[in-house]
Amino acid sequence: MTEIRYRRLLALYPRDFRQEYGDEMLGVLMADPRPGVVQTLDIVRGAILAHLRASVTGQSQAARIVQIFGAMLLLGFSLRRLTGVVIMMATATADGYTPHVPAADWVRPVVWGVALAGAVLGWRVLGAGAATIGLTAEILVPFQSYADTPATVLYAYWLIVAAAVVLIAGLAGDDAGVLWPRGWWLVAGAAAALAVVVARAPFAFFAFGYIGSADLLTIGVTVSLLLVALLMQGRDLRRRLLCWAAPIVVSVPLVRYGFIGFIEFNMRNPDSTRLLNPLHWAVLVIVPAAAFLGAAMLTNRTAAAR
Amino acid sequence: MNEPTFLILTALAGESRHGYAVIEDVEQMTGGRVRLRAGTLYAALDRLRGEGLIEVDREEVVQSRLRRYYRLTGAGEQSLQTETDRLRAQATIAEGRLRARRTNFGGATA
Repeated sequence: MTEIRYRRLLALYPRDFRQEYGDEMLGVLMADPRPGVVQTLDIVRGAILAHLRASVTGQSQAARIVQIFGAMLLLGFSLRRLTGVVIMMATATADGYTPHVPAADWVRPVVWGVALAGAVLGWRVLGAGAATIGLTAEILVPFQSYADTPATVLYAYWLIVAAAVVLIAGLAGDDAGVLWPRGWWLVAGAAAALAVVVARAPFAFFAFGYIGSADLLTIGVTVSLLLVALLMQGRDLRRRLLCWAAPIVVSVPLVRYGFIGFIEFNMRNPDSTRLLNPLHWAVLVIVPAAAFLGAAMLTNRTAAAR
Repeated sequence: MNEPTFLILTALAGESRHGYAVIEDVEQMTGGRVRLRAGTLYAALDRLRGEGLIEVDREEVVQSRLRRYYRLTGAGEQSLQTETDRLRAQATIAEGRLRARRTNFGGATA
């Protein structure tokens, strides 16, 4: 086989791989006295493996960081929920009334705390196990009132998506020792700030027009902290983190604009409440997955163009 | 650890070698049974470098073409030792059972 034909075959490899090994491989191929179909198939197979390896490399580190940041944010929310209930208990007891504290409000901070510890320590089973329980709790709580007010599931949708992302990231992430990602303190601050907004105006994300300027300022600070934390990561890592964040980011406008008619109808017609139909459920499941894939394709194309 | 990986690490355990020298040494070690091809070899070399089991020793240019020599790292040596111990333990078990089998059957093959 001629050098030109080998060069054409080597063009099947990812650019980075080709730059690293292309010249060497060409030398070996030219020295090898076994040209033919099997040699060609071996190169094609090697090229496919190299592409697969290139797509996976770095993904596990990004997944680990997503797991840590996600668990941090979810812990912030759950702690705030618990704090709110405790404050209510303390003030209500003086009036001789003790409010009921749902078990989930106690369980969720513990579970997300354990998930965070597992993520930071690199204990995959602990992190993924806690995230599974956390996701179950995030799903079960809104579903308790689904029959009466279906919108509660939609309001909690982004949290459910976030919990699912943390779980998947926990399964895909590496488990190589303790990790405190760059900018973790910014994300911790963002979790605290966002928790304040959620506590003050639970449906703030879905009704920006009805919340005060203080809450909007808090949202601005939160988003800014998250963006700075994102910018502190390396370019390649940042690209991967954006892919993981896409399902959560898209879940807010999906509910805000895609389901507003459904929510308003139920608010105006409390006696004839509509439940989510199969198409709604399909959209709620497919859109976050499509967002991840779309973001991955877009960022891959951008990286390839550089 | 799969066989090509084991054989590549074994080839580099003796001395640092370039790609084609690894192919030839593996062929020699296995009595011609295994002759690696470039695609398989460089996929393995890339992976082993990523895992820190091998590293580049030196580079030279021969006939205007890059020739890179690879060598085993400390982690690679440890990994090869572990795999060698595992294979030896399995071979010992297999050998013992075959010996017992021949004894049970009075030397007759089944």
